[in-house]
Amino acid sequence: MRGFGDLEMVIMHMVWDHDGPVTVRELFDELRQERAIAYTTVMSTMDNLHRKGWLDRVKDGKAYRYTATASREEYSARLMREALTGGGDTEVVLSHFVAEMDGAESEALRTVVRRLAGRGPE
Amino acid sequence: MKPALLVLGYALVVAWCLPALLTRLTAAGLSARLGLAAWLAAMVSVLASLLAAIQYLFTAAVAGWPQLAEAVCRSVAGGACTTVVYRSAAFELGLGLAAVTAALALAVLAWRYGRSVQRAQRRTRAHAEAARITGRRLPGAGAAVVLNAAQPAAYCVPGRPAAIVLTSAALAVLDPGQLDAVLAHERAHLAGRHHLLIALTRALAATFPGVPLFTRAPAEVARMAEMCADDAAARRSSRPTLIAALLAMGTGTAVPAAALAATTCAVSARVQRLLEPAPPARHARNRLALVTVMLLLAVVSGLVTRYAGPLAAYGWS
Repeated sequence: MRGFGDLEMVIMHMVWDHDGPVTVRELFDELRQERAIAYTTVMSTMDNLHRKGWLDRVKDGKAYRYTATASREEYSARLMREALTGGGDTEVVLSHFVAEMDGAESEALRTVVRRLAGRGPE
Repeated sequence: MKPALLVLGYALVVAWCLPALLTRLTAAGLSARLGLAAWLAAMVSVLASLLAAIQYLFTAAVAGWPQLAEAVCRSVAGGACTTVVYRSAAFELGLGLAAVTAALALAVLAWRYGRSVQRAQRRTRAHAEAARITGRRLPGAGAAVVLNAAQPAAYCVPGRPAAIVLTSAALAVLDPGQLDAVLAHERAHLAGRHHLLIALTRALAATFPGVPLFTRAPAEVARMAEMCADDAAARRSSRPTLIAALLAMGTGTAVPAAALAATTCAVSARVQRLLEPAPPARHARNRLALVTVMLLLAVVSGLVTRYAGPLAAYGWS
């Protein structure tokens, strides 16, 4: 399972790094340089990513040409929005290392940091 | 009726009176793990009593519908209640309708609860998957991925597998030791299945709006879980490193590893308990108090249910 998830990540990053649409063959040729992998594995992974909405594809002759449905930055921004609007509204359950702080609390922390910085080696 | 009312009364007392006491006992986070256990025990106790009350009412209705009809009639109308009234078809029909409505309402509550837990789980897993695909692996940190973002943030999302997410801005303000502390904190959440506890209590709060024990629990359970994870992280790295990481992430500025122990300042309870741990005697007293609360919950709810059982058997409806 773990390895398969990894492959989805690797392939998405390759698609993002490409300028235009890519075919399974092109990605397979690149991937083959660095790992032992079957053509069908790459094909089914890209098919999965298409099914899950990560990749768009258009038929070009016999093969499909794939493009990402959104850029890496757009996905990052979407995740951050979901993660940071936090609390009651989103149903995503996640634990932040530091929760949203109110003004007074964050001011108190800044005071501690300022004091430490004055005293510390910096 | 009486056994059900007795058990129900107990549940109401716990649900309305205990939150204030628990909040006081767990405010400073002296024993985070016991505090977490106490909140969970209170909720389990109330839910179990609720189920017992429903069971008694159901048994009473099945075993002696006429007696139940009489008891309900008397409790509502008192002296005005006569045989003519509670043996009438209209009254029996009304009572029957009320019973069916109550049963349906319960089914709807249970269904809503299940659906809200399920939906949270689905969206959480989707978030974890999206983070794993979008982020870049943090070398040597297992499940951790890095997203490009200007805001320092670090969080973990359960899933298959789970993900620990750090933003590029967070990496910029943390030194390697502090990063280890953050990762240890997030791993403690995942290992302790804190998300599951939070998801279950949140769904309870949504299912029972207006019940203090349930509406206050999500925030309190999350706070206790946070402190449990802090304790785990402090054991793994060190307390000063963890505090520095908290300060760095909280203010978005790098914090030099300086002499933190000497600082006294009114900061959040979470930092305060790490800065100045309470003396062992206070810890022990707090543990004793929390354990007592949990024991009382177990003993009293057990007694109430046991006492209500024979009461029901004698047909004191």
